[in-house]
Amino acid sequence: MPESRSIPPRVWLLAALALAVAVVVIIGPALFDRFTLNVLTRSMIYAMLAVTVDILWGYTGILTFGQAAFFGTGAYASAMVLSHLGATPALLALALALAIIVPILLGAFVGWLSFGHGSTPLYATVISLVVPIVVTQLVFSGGVWTGSSSGLVGYSGLPLGLQGYFRLTGICLIITTVIALIFTRSDAGKLLVAIRDNEARCAYLGLDPQRLKIALTTILAGVAGLAGFLYANASGVVAPENTGFVFGTEIVIWTALGGRGTIIGPVMGAIGIDYLSAQLSGDLPFLWNLVVGALFVVMIILLPNGLAQLARMVLPRRHGEQASQAGSPALAAEAAGNGAENGNRVLAVSGLGKSFGSLQVLQGIDLDVRPGELVSLVGPNGAGKTTLMRCLSDGTEATTGRVSIAGQDISGMTPDEIVALGVGRKFQVASVFDSLTVADCLRMARASRKTPSLLRRSATLGLPVAAADILRSTGLDGMLGRPVSLLSHGQKQSLELAMVVALEPKLILLDEPTAGLTKVERTTIGATLQKLTGELGFAAILVEHDLDFVRDISTRIVVLHQGKLVLDGSVDQVVNSEVVRTIYSGGAHA
Amino acid sequence: MTLLLDMVTTAAILFIVAAGLLAIFGVLKIINFAHGAWLTIGAYCAVATAGLGLNPWAALPIAFAVGAILGGITEQVIVRPLYRRPLDAILATWGLGIVIGQLITLWFGRDVQFTPNLLSGTVDVFGVGYSLYRLFAVAAALVIGLAFTFLLEGTRLGLSAQAVIMNETLARALGIDTARVRLATFMVGTGLAALAGVLLTPLTSVDPNMGVAWLIGSFMLVMVAGSSFSTLAIACLVFGGAQVLVSTFVSPIFGGITVAVLCALVLRISPKGFARA
Repeated sequence: MPESRSIPPRVWLLAALALAVAVVVIIGPALFDRFTLNVLTRSMIYAMLAVTVDILWGYTGILTFGQAAFFGTGAYASAMVLSHLGATPALLALALALAIIVPILLGAFVGWLSFGHGSTPLYATVISLVVPIVVTQLVFSGGVWTGSSSGLVGYSGLPLGLQGYFRLTGICLIITTVIALIFTRSDAGKLLVAIRDNEARCAYLGLDPQRLKIALTTILAGVAGLAGFLYANASGVVAPENTGFVFGTEIVIWTALGGRGTIIGPVMGAIGIDYLSAQLSGDLPFLWNLVVGALFVVMIILLPNGLAQLARMVLPRRHGEQASQAGSPALAAEAAGNGAENGNRVLAVSGLGKSFGSLQVLQGIDLDVRPGELVSLVGPNGAGKTTLMRCLSDGTEATTGRVSIAGQDISGMTPDEIVALGVGRKFQVASVFDSLTVADCLRMARASRKTPSLLRRSATLGLPVAAADILRSTGLDGMLGRPVSLLSHGQKQSLELAMVVALEPKLILLDEPTAGLTKVERTTIGATLQKLTGELGFAAILVEHDLDFVRDISTRIVVLHQGKLVLDGSVDQVVNSEVVRTIYSGGAHA
Repeated sequence: MTLLLDMVTTAAILFIVAAGLLAIFGVLKIINFAHGAWLTIGAYCAVATAGLGLNPWAALPIAFAVGAILGGITEQVIVRPLYRRPLDAILATWGLGIVIGQLITLWFGRDVQFTPNLLSGTVDVFGVGYSLYRLFAVAAALVIGLAFTFLLEGTRLGLSAQAVIMNETLARALGIDTARVRLATFMVGTGLAALAGVLLTPLTSVDPNMGVAWLIGSFMLVMVAGSSFSTLAIACLVFGGAQVLVSTFVSPIFGGITVAVLCALVLRISPKGFARA
């Protein structure tokens, strides 16, 4: 397998990196003076925080200033145990446990607060600003317990010297970094990028982006807490500034300058800037911050992906090579687990209505769809076709009436829950993940059925036969390793269809899948749809304007006009009916 | 009685401070995290005015002009490329805030500065002696609020700005020069922020980092208020009032976070804040 051979260079690179840093950790203490050791210990702790911010912001797109709060909580939890109770081995273990558990609990709460159904990215950022402020104020009001504004000092921590702390934090940093690297490059790590790119698509692939974000916030709060424990021990002092939002912005600055979305970049950024700050701030106290601030502004405007992006532009060839090597998995067709129960209704709609205020967009819709049917939904612009599709795939949309999928009422269900019932929705404008490769996009579609690996990057891509067929007939099977951003409009449409089919839905909803396609592409999609429904027993509802296309492939046609279902019959019945002619020639109201 | 006056005057001060931020967020949907720096610039304009021996009141127009000019430059150089990346705009303006803070430190030093009081003494309100300046703040807030309503409702710029708020693409298609509307809005917003900085000088100490303390509170209020000055006024009254109550009856430390926490909760319950409620 040539694919598996492309992975070792990465592993070697990682191993070499780990080895190099390990050497520094062991040899470092002998080389550096006290001051440098002290500063670097602190810098490495900060670098751990930068890694967590990078995963949240660089990969998942959640701009957060809140890591400072979790860090501070961990640091204070440790320092409070050590100052007020003592530093016996048992109490040290307690301090460590609390330093991780308390931030995790706080993180779970903050995550729940930040990521509700329908909350905006800006809101998460807002919360991440409030949390550090609240924690800081709690510290101020904690009196003797937290040392108030002067912080806690003079407690004894782990029995390690300067060099011991340097080694310990070095090892912790390397472990954090390596885990982060493995995770972000794994199949599961691609989920983060998918959420950043297109959260709606994630939900319509049966994933729950909000829950994933909450989990991520919770776990990374724990990592920040661990960093806080190290800090409280190594520095021997905790102060309110450690929890503040200004510190939170500093972590973001290091991450941005190092290069978001690279893990290594933020580590370098944090260590480099914090170390230089310590060295230079003595001589040039204000000028140094001025330079960092100015650099940060320039970087955000011109190089949003940081210095790592610059390095990548200088070495474009190597990067391209890696991408083509790493991203071409073998296609493996899996037997469809889709036992289509014949005869039973896949979809039953009765009395469905939707209104925006006093405006009735849909009213009194009744519709049944059985397996193997390809139902086309036609009607003039503004008839309510797309609204009907939305009501079928999001249980919170409909105002009145009942929609059941495979016998289950969907009212109040979120898109990802409805996907689990067996509904796949293809959007009018191709909704895919622009930063991922073709193969990764398809893997996302399988993620709700088969939990992706947290460690490995699979060399094969398992897809149901039907989805693999679509790839073959559209030529996408030859470009699995290609980034989606390089695909043509038609290829994106085909890819999205393949993703939806890969969900193995019972019912596929398609909103103008042929809009903007060439004649050839259109014929291919038409043939695919006929095969899916006729041979494989999927049911499909197709919104379409092109009546010729509809006539060729449909088994049934439904006409929607001014929010009402005016006709439901076979192709011949509908095409020859008077009503359709009147509607399309703009005649009398039905 | 004093409590009630405290609540009203606190709300007025919050309103003055948040107005500039709201002007920018309302029209441009960009959060100017350098807002704190502009407050600081305004306050130092007051310091410089006093240093030149001018009448303290002269600081108001000077600060507005300085703030607007610097804001214009900022919009052109920093904010313009970032309209499509609102989260990055937060970061870039925060970075700018750091730069401004350091420049002020280099120029004026990091020490606390003092400015002559604009108004001093107390007046009797219903038999209670109350700070004249805090009452003046209420008047100032009213003037700013009314001036803004006039600017939005009664001028061409305001009309264009409203069009941009509602539907920017359409506004551009109708021949409104949206780039100029944005520039003008940003300048008005930063000018107001600097003006607010001058008005703050009698109430707080003036130092290079004074703005940061005010930034989060006004940011949260603006998030709740959306894009309307009347909802901002309501938000300031409600949360400013709550802040005074908490400070008085619970603890001043918790008073400091009342605004932020309450706003966050309101946004969780109703993501549009007061704009739709």
